Amino acid sequence: MSEMSSGLGVPTIPAPPEEPHLPPRQWIRENLFSSLFNTVLTIVSSLVILAIVRGLLAFIFNPQRQWEATATNLRLLMTQAYPEEQYLRVWVCVAVILTLTAMSMAVWRAGSAVPLPGVGRRLLSGGVLLAIMALLAPFGTRSTFIWLVIAIVVAAGGEALRRFADEERSLSTLALLAMALGGLVATLWVVPYGSHTFNLQRTPRVLAEPGTVAMSTKLPWTLMLVVAVAAYFVGTLVRDRLPTNPLRATLLVTWLLMPPILLYLVLRDPSFDMGHVFTTDIPIFAAYAVLGGALLSWLTRPSTGEAGRIVAALVLVAGFAMFVTPMRMIVRLDMLLLAGFALSAPTFSGGPRARRRYTAGWLGVLGMMSWLITAINTPSTVDVPGEFFIGGISLTLMVAIFTIVISFPLGLALALARTSNMPIFRLLATWFIEFVRGVPLITILIFFSIMVPLFLPPGMHLGEVAAVVIGYSLFSSAYLAENVRGGLQSVTRGQHEAAEAVGMTTSQKTVFIVLPQALRVAIPPLVGHCIGVFKETSLLAIIGLFDVLYIARYVMSNQTEFMGSTKENILFVSLIYWIFAYQMSKASQRLEQRTGLGER
Amino acid sequence: MTDATAAENTDNQAMEQSRDLSGARDMIACEGVSKWYGDFQALDGITATIKEQEVVVVLGPSGSGKSTWIRCINRLEVHQEGRIVVDDVELTNDLRNIEQVRSEVGMVFQLFNLFPHLKVIDNVSLAPIWVRKKPRAEAEEQAMALLERVGIPEQAHKYPGQLSGGQQQRVAIARALAMEPRIMLFDEPTSALDPEMIKEVLDVMKVLAQSGMTMMVVTHEMGFAKEVADRIIFMEEGQIVEQGTPQHFFENPTEDRTKLFLSQIL
Repeated sequence: MSEMSSGLGVPTIPAPPEEPHLPPRQWIRENLFSSLFNTVLTIVSSLVILAIVRGLLAFIFNPQRQWEATATNLRLLMTQAYPEEQYLRVWVCVAVILTLTAMSMAVWRAGSAVPLPGVGRRLLSGGVLLAIMALLAPFGTRSTFIWLVIAIVVAAGGEALRRFADEERSLSTLALLAMALGGLVATLWVVPYGSHTFNLQRTPRVLAEPGTVAMSTKLPWTLMLVVAVAAYFVGTLVRDRLPTNPLRATLLVTWLLMPPILLYLVLRDPSFDMGHVFTTDIPIFAAYAVLGGALLSWLTRPSTGEAGRIVAALVLVAGFAMFVTPMRMIVRLDMLLLAGFALSAPTFSGGPRARRRYTAGWLGVLGMMSWLITAINTPSTVDVPGEFFIGGISLTLMVAIFTIVISFPLGLALALARTSNMPIFRLLATWFIEFVRGVPLITILIFFSIMVPLFLPPGMHLGEVAAVVIGYSLFSSAYLAENVRGGLQSVTRGQHEAAEAVGMTTSQKTVFIVLPQALRVAIPPLVGHCIGVFKETSLLAIIGLFDVLYIARYVMSNQTEFMGSTKENILFVSLIYWIFAYQMSKASQRLEQRTGLGER
Repeated sequence: MTDATAAENTDNQAMEQSRDLSGARDMIACEGVSKWYGDFQALDGITATIKEQEVVVVLGPSGSGKSTWIRCINRLEVHQEGRIVVDDVELTNDLRNIEQVRSEVGMVFQLFNLFPHLKVIDNVSLAPIWVRKKPRAEAEEQAMALLERVGIPEQAHKYPGQLSGGQQQRVAIARALAMEPRIMLFDEPTSALDPEMIKEVLDVMKVLAQSGMTMMVVTHEMGFAKEVADRIIFMEEGQIVEQGTPQHFFENPTEDRTKLFLSQIL
């Protein structure tokens, strides 16, 4: 005992003997050909894999494939019909997102260091793989030769690194990533990809000129790379000079604020009626901010006690009463929001710091909500044909992100309501979940895009996409609630009892003890659900929105120049979907590892 | 109060090593407490009082209702008949009473029930911060002092899963003490531990008893009962069979059932 608790209390455990690193030949014998059955399996599955790879390569490199369809239509896939002369707005958004990403990577110390021999090993296997593919693919002699030379160079470089590099020296994975992207961008300037433009006016045709990539493509992307790398270095500088936690909190808040600002300020460029904003919207916000802040500050005072609960209940009643009274939407929704904050105030009551934080939270959410309501109701100045000002990947991502972000708190609330011991909440939540899960998503999308705008009170204008996002969020929250409920059930009775035994109220127990454990258990199904939400945005096509899959399948394949290019386009789009979905999956694995800290 | 307590009080005065608690006020008072699980009656008219600063050990075979009774005292189980009054607050369905009682009564569980997602120090300081509304710095200082008291300040920044069973149980004791309770309930605190760890937990409990805490302990540790208890209550089939000082209980028990129990375990 005394020996164990000496020093920092970390017991010095002798390291286990290192697993011997088997030479390749022995590894192959032990793992792939260890028994007769294993040998047969290895041979059969190798043949199947070879056949698939060969088929895929034959498809991709077939000279009849019209890959120029995707190359030409990249802008269509990215933003659909966003006007070209306003394109600077899109680039600003990309730059902001890249900057935030790179800074967050620096601040959260993303990436890891790979020792140089490890890099060499990977290069070697990559080179070998490339050589096999070059031999398999149905190339002409000359192409095969070029591919083989590249493969051999890569493999030789890898082997050299593996043999001669110092085990101590390492390379960060982020540097590798930057190098790879840099190489890619450099090829835009060097390799004669050809310049593809698709002329929509009158005689649709592809203008393909060999030799160059258009300046409007290579310049922005080069700038984006520079921006990202620069932001990373700024991030490392800031990280080393400022305290960590406030910095991370600031970044998180910026991430949360970014989507509505980029969308409604940068991309949509709303034409605010400033006079109206100053005379109506800002005073309403200010009144709620001041009065609501004062109310919450009083409610979170520990000495308030029972009177506070009564006042909070009164605020809720007032909220419902105002909601059914015709008046400005912003007034009604803000009142409901205030009621929610008032009801949960006793849970978070405490010292001056806790109270200030709670009031600041109220101001933040209120500001966000007021801004969103005002922005959604203001017409856009960007003149775009069709239903919505963006389409393609931008639309897919936007709907997915908003749906996930909105349905998360909704789903949590539903799950808690369904497991609570208040019969009315339980009944309502159960009915809602069972109803929504019993209805196809398409029905909900159609209902929200066509019917809901008819029900809106006069003066409230809800764009089609906003309506659809609300419907999709409700749909997704029902499924999410069931995933969370699974997590809630995994929290043992002992945990509930321990929390109750120290005198926590039900809401304190839920927030501090039950939810953190439940959500950790629910990470895998929750991420699965998020991936599902992302992919099912392709159903937006049914209500006439141009999502990326719809563009690939119908729009591009019907351009005169690219008749019959459906297969290529769909392959390309599925690659895009895969990249995003795979990143979500990786993120979930990292999250599981990070939150798994407490487990033995 | 009742015959049993009156008898016990005279007994106490006769005992040399026992403390004189006859003048102390009642901390826990149970009157005819009964509870059923479906058709099975777990508690059958329990009537007993526990004085301030008294250490009561509850013994009995498995399934005799010891744990159910102790869990009724902070309302983790709901009794269906009778009255339970803890520190002058009666336990009813009123949530405010329950919360008040729970913040006055600390509980230590058989399986520790530490919060696995929180570091040891946060396990201890969480309730003072949010239930007692203490400033975080003060609560953490107090948590460190308590961890020192139970002998494991160096584990403060580990997670419960990285601690041994005995250490976890001591953290659980510190967590209960952090609420500055007036009563501590122990529900078989050493049953899930191996012999070496039992000792380290019992040592902490002994020090706590000497400091004047009112304690109610369900345990199978006869040595602890003999050494620390002011009074032993023996239960069987949801009823109190016999109670008295350790000397009385271990040396000349009156009931046959008690004699049988003692002959089986000693």
